[in-house]
Amino acid sequence: MSAHLSDLGWRVFALLAATFMAVPLVLVVLFSFNVSALTSLPLTGFTLDWYRKLFALGPFWPALWNSLIVASMVALLSVTVGTMAALALARMVARRAAWIIAILSVPMMLPALIIGVALMSYLVRFVNLPLGLPTVILGHLVIAQPFVIMIVYARLATFDWSVVDSARDLGASPLRAFLTVTLPIIQPTIVGAFLIALSISLDDFVITFFTIGGGNTLPTLVWGLVRTSLDPTINAMASLLIILSVGSTFLALRVSRYRGYA
Amino acid sequence: MRVLRPGADSRNWLLLPAVLVFAGAFVAPLLHFLVISFWSVRARIMRPDFTLKNYVATWADYYDAMASTLLIALVIGALTTVLAFAFAYAIRFKCGRFEAPLLFLALITLFGGYLVKIYAWKSILGREGILNQALTGLGIIDQPLDALLYSVNGVVITLTYFLLPFAVLPIYGNLRAISPTTVEAARDLGAGRWAVMRDIILPQCEKGIVIAFIFAFLITAGDYVTPRFVGGGAAMMGHFIELQFSLGFNWPMGSAMAFTVMTVSLALVVLLRALLVRSLRP
Repeated sequence: MSAHLSDLGWRVFALLAATFMAVPLVLVVLFSFNVSALTSLPLTGFTLDWYRKLFALGPFWPALWNSLIVASMVALLSVTVGTMAALALARMVARRAAWIIAILSVPMMLPALIIGVALMSYLVRFVNLPLGLPTVILGHLVIAQPFVIMIVYARLATFDWSVVDSARDLGASPLRAFLTVTLPIIQPTIVGAFLIALSISLDDFVITFFTIGGGNTLPTLVWGLVRTSLDPTINAMASLLIILSVGSTFLALRVSRYRGYA
Repeated sequence: MRVLRPGADSRNWLLLPAVLVFAGAFVAPLLHFLVISFWSVRARIMRPDFTLKNYVATWADYYDAMASTLLIALVIGALTTVLAFAFAYAIRFKCGRFEAPLLFLALITLFGGYLVKIYAWKSILGREGILNQALTGLGIIDQPLDALLYSVNGVVITLTYFLLPFAVLPIYGNLRAISPTTVEAARDLGAGRWAVMRDIILPQCEKGIVIAFIFAFLITAGDYVTPRFVGGGAAMMGHFIELQFSLGFNWPMGSAMAFTVMTVSLALVVLLRALLVRSLRP
């Protein structure tokens, strides 16, 4: 067997897999601009009608607003909490840090359904907290925080602590050394982690569904619409979600140079 | 190499907020949820109790659903892990300068939206969907296939699609650590293609492969949105668990079902892991 042929096979596979990953999302966006109400080929012409219909839809604006409030709060809080944790972990023995990260990441591995119903029944029965946007934010923090910790921790693994030590030796307080030395250096990573947390929150449906009580975010509105009707208004809203979350992921990867591995 | 100052550990307090979120919004709810699973319901009201009847009922009533859920999770877990490994391997060692853009694509689609992805496949797989159009157009089939949507096939395609980018990352992370020089050296010393794969590459990816599989397995075992949208309510446990909360108002039952699925899944995953790790070790 020639080496060239097998290499070609791998490349073709990579291309096919990449197509498989990209095409469904591209189609959703494409059909949101298509005249026909059916999501089938051929495309029948370009229109913005589905977006007009979407923007005229009563529950759309409150849902967008809720999504933006929740996502920005989740991003802000998880970046604060996660960066603090990563700073502590970075100075630990690597093995212990790896264990702590593994434990804090358990929520990523569990189905959102279980996290959602457990949190909902706990809040309703045990804490007696009314459901609403704050409880959604709490739920999202649980799943966004491990991503932030992993991203910032990965950056700190190659961090040159001697610059911080110099600042400390010259009399800076720990907080001042963090704000004037560490923070400016890791800032791109923090912005990246912020945007990733933003898109995790924007994207979540299941936890939101169980912890919101009343009202909608964009994903719960999509859920409601898919159950009642199937027309490209949903494509328009889905495209908006894709643009928001893919856009912020894209930016995150550009600024932070994080590539998913430590 | 940095020398740790004495007292350097004192910054451990920085972990506190993260640990509080984890304990308060994840561990405590799960413990409370476990307690509820032993409660009983009378006249639609939940009452503190200590009964095993929810667990007994889970096994008696949902035996079939449990078996088919685990089977589907096994298929999706294996399929996702194999595809993810092949993709990560191909972009790491075979695609040259396209390595970075292809990885970038995988990461971008990772956050493309759970519900959006399910919706996308619903419209692709439908009777008038693009896949049927393409297959009839190419003359591969005469009649549109109904079995694509509202069947187990739909669930497998959609969930594999959703899970793939997540599964690529841990495996790719492991492959990063293998230098192409090591692979070349082994080849120069006469190792065959398969020997390199078995003795160098697979053992190094053990961790990533195991994480990818467990992730795909557990998420599938607890999913309910996909079976409902594209699976025609394919009898999966997630679907029945969700019903206990949305329609049945029987939280204790739902809780017992959730813990049963997770426990059985974990046990199965641990068993499979042992088998897998043994077969990956050179």
